[in-house]
Amino acid sequence: MDINRIVETDSPQDFIEEIEKIQNALPKRIDANPKNVEKGLAKLVLTLIELIRKLLEKQAMRRVDAGSLTEEEIERVGETLMKLENKMQELKGVFGLKDEELNINLGPLGDLM
Amino acid sequence: MIDQKTQMKIYAHCIVDHSQAIDNDIEGMGGTPIYNIPYRDIGIVVSHIDKQTKDVPKEWVLKHEEITEKLMENFNVLPMRFLTVFNNEKDILGMMKDYHNDFRMNLDRLRNKVEFGLKIIWSAEEMRRRIINEVDKVDDLASLKDNSLAKSFMKEKIEKYKVDKVLEKEAERYIVVIDNIFNKLSVEKKLQKLTTENLLLNASYLVEKEKQKDFKEAFERAKNTPGDLKYLFSGPWPPYNFIVLTKKPDIFTPLEILKTMGNTSF
Repeated sequence: MDINRIVETDSPQDFIEEIEKIQNALPKRIDANPKNVEKGLAKLVLTLIELIRKLLEKQAMRRVDAGSLTEEEIERVGETLMKLENKMQELKGVFGLKDEELNINLGPLGDLM
Repeated sequence: MIDQKTQMKIYAHCIVDHSQAIDNDIEGMGGTPIYNIPYRDIGIVVSHIDKQTKDVPKEWVLKHEEITEKLMENFNVLPMRFLTVFNNEKDILGMMKDYHNDFRMNLDRLRNKVEFGLKIIWSAEEMRRRIINEVDKVDDLASLKDNSLAKSFMKEKIEKYKVDKVLEKEAERYIVVIDNIFNKLSVEKKLQKLTTENLLLNASYLVEKEKQKDFKEAFERAKNTPGDLKYLFSGPWPPYNFIVLTKKPDIFTPLEILKTMGNTSF
């Protein structure tokens, strides 16, 4: 094969940063030991709750955008979503988890969020 | 005397459309020569690495690629993922038996084809700024109770939702324009939109070897797309992203053996 390869860019640093963002979203190894098992479990559970919260939020936004909710309903949904978001922030703080840590790699399907 | 084989694992480089020994002087990962393990009408090219290897040298990434390319000069190959390692030949032959049909099908489908990569960055922040000026303000919530936290929360969320929606449409618009330039020159493609906010497009194109020149020229045209876009174009590569396995690796197959060496395989 005649390999006449090119790798061309005017902005190598920008691409390095973006690719690092993707790679850093997930740990290279699972750091499982008795001392951090609680945090690991919390990470898993909170990731799933965060996914459901985001789905609920998106669905609510769609309905508001489509004009299918009354004002009272909008306010009620807003209050619920706000409380849920605050509670998630509180729980993330308790377990020392950052937003970008709440994700799961689903293999060929990509990341959960 | 120490049995060298028990101290070694087998590093898999690629599947080849060749079931005989290969005559070569290519050095494998662990410094030992590569060789072909035949299975029916195909083979798997491997080399030995030390079983104790824990930290993989960075140079291995390039070496893996170089070896694959050297083999591509003479053979039709399916590149294995970096760090695909087996305990012994018996495990390899088991895997070859399980995946023979898939390998055969892919060797035929990917014959005389190469892969090109295209990444495009835009400034999501700049796009958002521009969109915010265009998106309608949320008047329909104006009649909600004053001083309501829920009201401000929802206003903020809905504005963000509307901006995101426009941002996504803009991204799609750009991608359609750029993909149109490459689409007719490729036989298959994989497009990922907004993997990160700034990474507008992460694309892989499968291209007939004879159309490589045309494809590279198409990139020169793509660079003239209006907008503040940054490009990373690379290739030709072995067709890593276009190998399709109908049989998915089980969790405990030999493909997963190399957990001790970090992120692995296949």
